[in-house]
Amino acid sequence: MIGFDAILSSFAAALHYESIAIILGGVLLGYIVGVIPGLNRAVAIAIAIPLTFYMSAYAAIAFLIGLSKGTAAGSAVSAILLNAPGEPSSAATCLDGFPMARAGKPRKALKVGLLASVVGDLLATLLLIAVAIPFASVALKFGPYELAAILIFALVFIAGMAGGSFLKGLAAGGMGVILGTVGLDPETGAARLTFGYAELMEGVPILPLVIGTLALAEMFVQLDEYRRNKGASVIKLSHDKADDLSFKEFKATLPTVFKSTGIGAFVGALPGLGPSVGAFMAYGLAKRSAKDPDSFGKGNPNGIAAAEAADNAVIPASYIPLFGLGIPGSVSAALLVGAFMIHGIQVGPLMLRDHPEMLFTLFSGMIVASLLMLAVGWYGLRIFAKVTSVPPHIVIPVVIFLCLAGIQVQGYGTFGLVTVFAFAIFGYFLKKFDYSFVTFLVAFIVTPMLEMNLRQAVILSGGDIAILLNRPIALAFVVFTALMALHLGWSGYRQWRQKRLKASGN
Amino acid sequence: MKMKLLGTAILSSAMAFGAAGMAQADDFPTKPVTMVIGWGAGGSTDIQGRVLADILSEELGQPVNVVNQPGAGGGVALARLANSRDEGYTFVFGTSMTITFGPLSSETTYELDDFRYVAGVTLGQSAIVTGEDRPFGDSWEELVEYARENPGMSYATQTALDRMIIEYIAQQEGLELRIVPTSGGAGMAPLILSGDVDFAYSGGTHSGYAETGEMPVLLSLAEDRLVAFPDAPTLPEAGYDINAAEIRVAMVPKNTPDAHVERLAEALEAATQDPRFIEITEERILMPVTYIAEDEVTQTLRDQVEGYQALIEELGGLPGEE
Repeated sequence: MIGFDAILSSFAAALHYESIAIILGGVLLGYIVGVIPGLNRAVAIAIAIPLTFYMSAYAAIAFLIGLSKGTAAGSAVSAILLNAPGEPSSAATCLDGFPMARAGKPRKALKVGLLASVVGDLLATLLLIAVAIPFASVALKFGPYELAAILIFALVFIAGMAGGSFLKGLAAGGMGVILGTVGLDPETGAARLTFGYAELMEGVPILPLVIGTLALAEMFVQLDEYRRNKGASVIKLSHDKADDLSFKEFKATLPTVFKSTGIGAFVGALPGLGPSVGAFMAYGLAKRSAKDPDSFGKGNPNGIAAAEAADNAVIPASYIPLFGLGIPGSVSAALLVGAFMIHGIQVGPLMLRDHPEMLFTLFSGMIVASLLMLAVGWYGLRIFAKVTSVPPHIVIPVVIFLCLAGIQVQGYGTFGLVTVFAFAIFGYFLKKFDYSFVTFLVAFIVTPMLEMNLRQAVILSGGDIAILLNRPIALAFVVFTALMALHLGWSGYRQWRQKRLKASGN
Repeated sequence: MKMKLLGTAILSSAMAFGAAGMAQADDFPTKPVTMVIGWGAGGSTDIQGRVLADILSEELGQPVNVVNQPGAGGGVALARLANSRDEGYTFVFGTSMTITFGPLSSETTYELDDFRYVAGVTLGQSAIVTGEDRPFGDSWEELVEYARENPGMSYATQTALDRMIIEYIAQQEGLELRIVPTSGGAGMAPLILSGDVDFAYSGGTHSGYAETGEMPVLLSLAEDRLVAFPDAPTLPEAGYDINAAEIRVAMVPKNTPDAHVERLAEALEAATQDPRFIEITEERILMPVTYIAEDEVTQTLRDQVEGYQALIEELGGLPGEE
């Protein structure tokens, strides 16, 4: 295990001015992306990964984590001033943020949102640090049996939890699995689904897939929406003294902030639920437990605080299964796995063993990012308020350019461009028909791992399933998976039957 | 105005002179050179290649741009290089396994004779490794004995080549093994460290565990014994007539003019003496730097291909093909 001096020196590394500059860059970029309604976190991370090629592994990951944290805080700005969430997860912030801003208190609303974001983020980061390490040291003892069982469980869980119908979740996951099996068979070396392309022998390259399905497809969706509704009015910030947040007002929201952080962190730690669920759950609870539930939706600062604290707490908490087990539970975590892979590091419990200094430097970098988020948001309030009015016809072409440039940087050539467009079309329809994106992406990322561990388990055991009896953890997860699938299948069937009964009743 | 005209005159005459000089003496290189790396950014070949490119550009007096063309274990880059008519302005920096075993284990559009091997600059350190405190200790002989008495010992493979070697050994020694696939050092290390697998192939990961002794080497797959594990025998020393030594080598298409190959070779030789290249190779990726001239490296590669062909014949086909 790592000693205290090592932890201190890793903190020192995170406080180095170069490292602070990189994290600041990430937070700032994330904040801007968060503020601009058409751009979301996944788009930003996907197109930022190629930017990190020439950074060290630590700098790259710190930059990307800063970026994803920044988007969560920045998205409150457009939710409050435009009534259009900068991230889908800030939809709950609109509910009270926009009425409050319209009532002439935009600055107060923004500051409540910012402080709640920072507190939620910081506390969840501390939780991550406290939980991930013991988690990882247990997970280090896991072999192929345990990992295969846990991965299958995670996939079924995500398919069931990611929202929408369980069948669509399974379908999205299935597509991810199929794409994840492209390439050379790990055991026999036979080429699977490569159609003669040498480029596909090591699997579908992750960057074209991610940039295509996430970033480029999102731009198509945006274009689609932009045609339909043009122009939204932005609320301007005043210099009015009454529109400033007093410490007393902030203190009054603190209980809500703490409760919501707890909810956000819990939701984040479970794979697949995502920040939108966390934000709405926290908002709902704050409303129900308030003395004056009727004031919610009309500009209650507690509503903003609840949504933002939970939204921001989800992000660091979703890295608990990532660093602890190597399982990405959210889109941004799945993208981080890709970024780690590109930098030659396998994320997961092994990091604790092989790169502990890297892990601790990352953790300290995350705390630095929380504090920078506060500074950026506080002092950049007016500038970001202006960014909300950047028109889509500027944003969309710039992002499309960055997508294509990112593919070229990685050196995939024409093949990469064709792949990226194919996936953009695929991603567009995935979004249009409401197939779960997290399930698809996580299944794609996890499949090679799952296949490898499953095959290792089968070969090592000589094909004898009774080995599970000696592996209680693996056995437990196999049982959980079966129960989970039965439960989800059953409740899906009941919903379908109720719908049919209703339909025939009318 | 006059000055400007004069400047233009000098410049254009200089350019004309330069062009004439190129036509006569061929001062390769007269324009930027491209180094293609058949792996993604951030891998060990990429890390080393970028330092090498910096040094080469100083030696050649032209920028050396690095381009990644990942895919098929370096095979995508070689397939493209085979069609290049760039006379040495584009070369691939890669590992020898791609060109020696690649065409034997999968269908490729290139073969050994499509390229010239300008020079080898680094020796691989691949090995067969095990974990601490195993019942057979950390010697190859004891492992073989133990495996004869205990059928079903497990071996983790990463490449088609090491799989073929272990199947050949198993046939020679009459062992019954369970061979599990894994990918890269990051996949192999947890299997060995946790004890789930008895022994494994390792491309270079073991060098990082040399100090702690958590990953003892049983056999060296390099031509000589490994720098960090001098006690482990090589394949021939253990009684197997195989040369699987990995060499990092610069390759150009067959039709590249001799003068260009020579100039590149000179620059590569100088790079192998450059402290920056030595540092990144020997301290970061933990492989020894050596300069191997074109004749010698080409002969080694040719011998390896013949050796592998003989091995495949003896095994009656590649493992995994039913």
